[in-house]
Amino acid sequence: MFLLTPRYHGIKNRFSRLAPGDGLKSVILALLGLAFWAFLFGVSFKVLSYFRTIEGLGDLLAIRLLSMVLITFFSILVFSNVVTSLSTFYLSGELDILLSSPVPIGTVYRAKFVETIADSSWMTLIYGLPVFIAYGAVFKASAAYYAGLVLALVPFLMIPAAIGIGITMLLVSAFPARRAKDVLVLLGLLFFVAVYILFRMLRPEKLVDPDAFPTLVQYLTAMRGPVSPLLPNEWAEEVLAPLLRSAKGDVLFYLLMLWSTAGAGVVIGEWVCNRVYYASWSRSQEGRRAALSRSRAADRFFSLISLPFPGKMRSIVLKDAKLFFRDTSQWSQLFLLVALMVVYIYSFKLLPFERAQMPSFYLQNLISFLNLGMVGFVTTAIAVRFVFPAVSLEGAAFWIIRSAPLSITDFLWAKFWSSLIPLLLLSEILIILSNALLKVTPFMMGIGVVTVFLMTFGITSLGVGLGAAFPRFRYENAAQIPTGFGGIVYMLAAMLFIGSVVVLEAWPVYRIFAAQSFRGHIPPSGWVLIGSSFLLVLAVNVLALLLPMKIGLKRLMEREI
Amino acid sequence: MIKLINLTKQYGTLTAVNGIDLEVPEGQVFGFLGPNGAGKTTTIKMIAGLLQPTGGSALVGGYDVQRQPLKAKFITGFIPDRPFLYEKLTATEFLYFVSTLYDMKDPKPRIAELLDLFGLNEWADELVENFSHGMKQRLVMASALLHRPKVLVVDEPMVGLDPRGARLVKDIFKDLAATGVTVFMSTHTLEIVEQMCTRVAIINRGGIIAQGSVEDLARMASMPDSHLEPVFLRLTGGDEQIQR
Repeated sequence: MFLLTPRYHGIKNRFSRLAPGDGLKSVILALLGLAFWAFLFGVSFKVLSYFRTIEGLGDLLAIRLLSMVLITFFSILVFSNVVTSLSTFYLSGELDILLSSPVPIGTVYRAKFVETIADSSWMTLIYGLPVFIAYGAVFKASAAYYAGLVLALVPFLMIPAAIGIGITMLLVSAFPARRAKDVLVLLGLLFFVAVYILFRMLRPEKLVDPDAFPTLVQYLTAMRGPVSPLLPNEWAEEVLAPLLRSAKGDVLFYLLMLWSTAGAGVVIGEWVCNRVYYASWSRSQEGRRAALSRSRAADRFFSLISLPFPGKMRSIVLKDAKLFFRDTSQWSQLFLLVALMVVYIYSFKLLPFERAQMPSFYLQNLISFLNLGMVGFVTTAIAVRFVFPAVSLEGAAFWIIRSAPLSITDFLWAKFWSSLIPLLLLSEILIILSNALLKVTPFMMGIGVVTVFLMTFGITSLGVGLGAAFPRFRYENAAQIPTGFGGIVYMLAAMLFIGSVVVLEAWPVYRIFAAQSFRGHIPPSGWVLIGSSFLLVLAVNVLALLLPMKIGLKRLMEREI
Repeated sequence: MIKLINLTKQYGTLTAVNGIDLEVPEGQVFGFLGPNGAGKTTTIKMIAGLLQPTGGSALVGGYDVQRQPLKAKFITGFIPDRPFLYEKLTATEFLYFVSTLYDMKDPKPRIAELLDLFGLNEWADELVENFSHGMKQRLVMASALLHRPKVLVVDEPMVGLDPRGARLVKDIFKDLAATGVTVFMSTHTLEIVEQMCTRVAIINRGGIIAQGSVEDLARMASMPDSHLEPVFLRLTGGDEQIQR
C-alpha cells in the first residue's frame, strides 16, 4: 500500500491547495454531478415503479433490466480496465522510479491493481449506485440487499480489473505499448460504434411495448437475452435478485463464486505479471517509424485541406490536420461522429407519422422545426469533442505560438475558421437529410438551412472561445480535454444559445407557416413583429459569434505559460 | 539590444522578479546566473513575450515586448529549457511550420542548412516523438535560428546535449555573437559562462545582486583570480550553506 501514498498525497494536495475560483468551480461541478445523480435515480425509480404496476410481468421485466445493467457494466469495466491498465502499468511517469527501486514486481502489481480499479471503475460505480439504490427503494428491500450489494460489487469490480490487466499485458507483449494503445482505442471505438448502432436498430424501447409483438410467446422470447451461468454479471444478479424480492436463492453460493473468482484473478494476474511484465514494460519503451509522414498521398491530402486558408492561417491548419490524422486517439473519434449522424438520421425513418392523430404534413413541419434545435445539439456534441479542444491541443508546445510573431487574435481565428468549415458541412448535411426524410415544405427547408448555417458560427465560436478561456494544456489523451469545467460551461452556453434561437424563431415561423398552410393573411404590423423576431435571432447569433471569441482572446492573452 | 527597466513579476504574494534593470549591447553573449528559483526562467519568459510583467518593461531591439510584441518577436529566437514540440510532426515539417510563422520566403535551403548543422539530416523525416531529449533540444535550436534572429534568448542550452552537441552549441553562439547577434543565456554550467560570456549578471531572490565581467564578479566577491564557481557561491550565499 505504501506505493499508493504518492497518489494519495497528490489528491490531498490538490484539494487542500485550491487556487482562487477553484472552490466555486468545485461547487458547481459537485452540484451538476449531484443533479445528474438525482436524475439517474429519478428515472430509474420511475421506470422500475412503472414495471411493478404491470401484473405478472413487472418483476420479470425489472430483473431483466438488472441483468442488462450488470452485463453492460461488466463489458464497460473490462474494456475500461484494459485502457486504464495500459496507462497505470506501462505509460505512467512514476514507473521509472518504481521499477528502478528494490520493490518486488508482485508488490508493484498489487499497487497498480488497486490504482487501476480506482481509475477505471469510479465512474461506473457512481453512475451505477443510483440505479441499484432505486431498485432497493422500489422493491422496498431489506438491509440484507444493501449489504449484499456492497459484498457483490467489490469482487464484481475486481474480476474485470484482473481480466483487463491480463489482456493489456498480453497485448503489450505483442505490440509496443504506444502502438497497443492505438490498436485498443481503434478496436474499442469500433466496438462501441457497432454496439450503439445495433442497439438503436434493435429498438429496445419495443420491450416495454408488448403491443408491438404479435404474440406473448414472441414477447417472452425477445425478453430472453444472452445468459451464461459462467459470467460474473449472472452471479451478481443471482445475489441481488433474491435479496430484492426477499425470495429464496443461493445468495451465499454466488457470493463465494464472485469472491473466489476475484481472488483467483488477483493470484493468477500476479503470477502472469511476474513472468511477462518486466519484458513487456521494456518493450513498451520502443519507438516506431513515421510511415504516414512519408506518404505523398497524405501530404497532398493535407495540403488540399489547408488550401482555402491564407498565409499563417494555412500553416496552422496544415499543422493541425497532420497532428489530427496522425493521432489514433483523435481521428478514430470520427467513427463516433459517423455513428451519431447515422443514428440521428435513421431515427427520422422510424417516426410513426401514419399513426399520429394530427394531419401528417403539419406534424412533419412541427418536427422539422424542433429538428432545428436537435441538429444544433448534435452539432454541439460534435463540437465539444472536436472544436472545444482546438486550443488545448497545442499542449505543452504552445510556447512556440506564444514566442512567435503571430498575434493571438490571428491564431484564434485560424482555429475558428478551420473548425467552422467541417462543422458547417456536417450540420448542413444533418438538417438537409433529416428534413428531406421528413418531406417538409420548401419554406421549412429554407428556414432550417439558414438557421443552422447561422447557428454553426455561434456553436464554433463558443467552442473555440471557451476552449481558449478554459484551456487544458496538460492532458494524457485528447478525449480528457472536454471533460473538465470548461467543457460543461461550453455545453450549457451552447444549449442556452440554441434554445434562445429556437424560441425566438418559433413564433414568426409558426405565423408564416400557418398563413401559408391555411391561406391566412398577415397584416403589416404582423410582418413588423416577424421582422423584429428575425432581427433578434440575428443579433443573438452575432453575439454568440463575437462574445466568446473576445472572452477567449482576453483569457488566453492573460494566461501565463 | 536588450533592455530591462524595473522589470517585476509577482505571483500572488510571491515576488519572483523584483524590479530588475539590465542592458545588454549588440553582439554580446550575456550570462544570466542564479540559484534554483531565483527568477531566471521568469525573466527569460518575460523577454520572450511568454509572461506579462507585473511592472516595468522589457525592450528587445528597441521594441517593447508588451506594446510591440510582433516586432520584438520577429527579431528574437527563443530556446526554452524543456523542448516541448509537436510530437506528431517530422523535423522538417516542424521547421517549415516555424518558417511560416516568421513569414520566411523559400525556407527550404535554410532548413537543409540547419538540419545539417545540428546533425539531424538522417532524422529529417522522422516524427519528433521518436527523438531523444538532446535531439529535440537541437531541433528547437534550429527552429530558433531559422529566421536569423538578432537576439537569441536561451534558457539552459546544454541540458540533454552530448559533449559534441554542447561543443557545437558553444561554437554556434560564439559565431553568432561575432556577427552581431546578442545571446542572452541562463545556465548552471559555470565553465561555459567562463568560456563564452562577455558579461554576466547574477540574480538571487528576484533581484540582480551583481553584474559585470567574470573578473568584475571575482573582485566583488573579494576572490580575484578565482574560478566562477566559488565566486558564484560566495555572492549567492551558497558557500555558507555548504559550510553548515
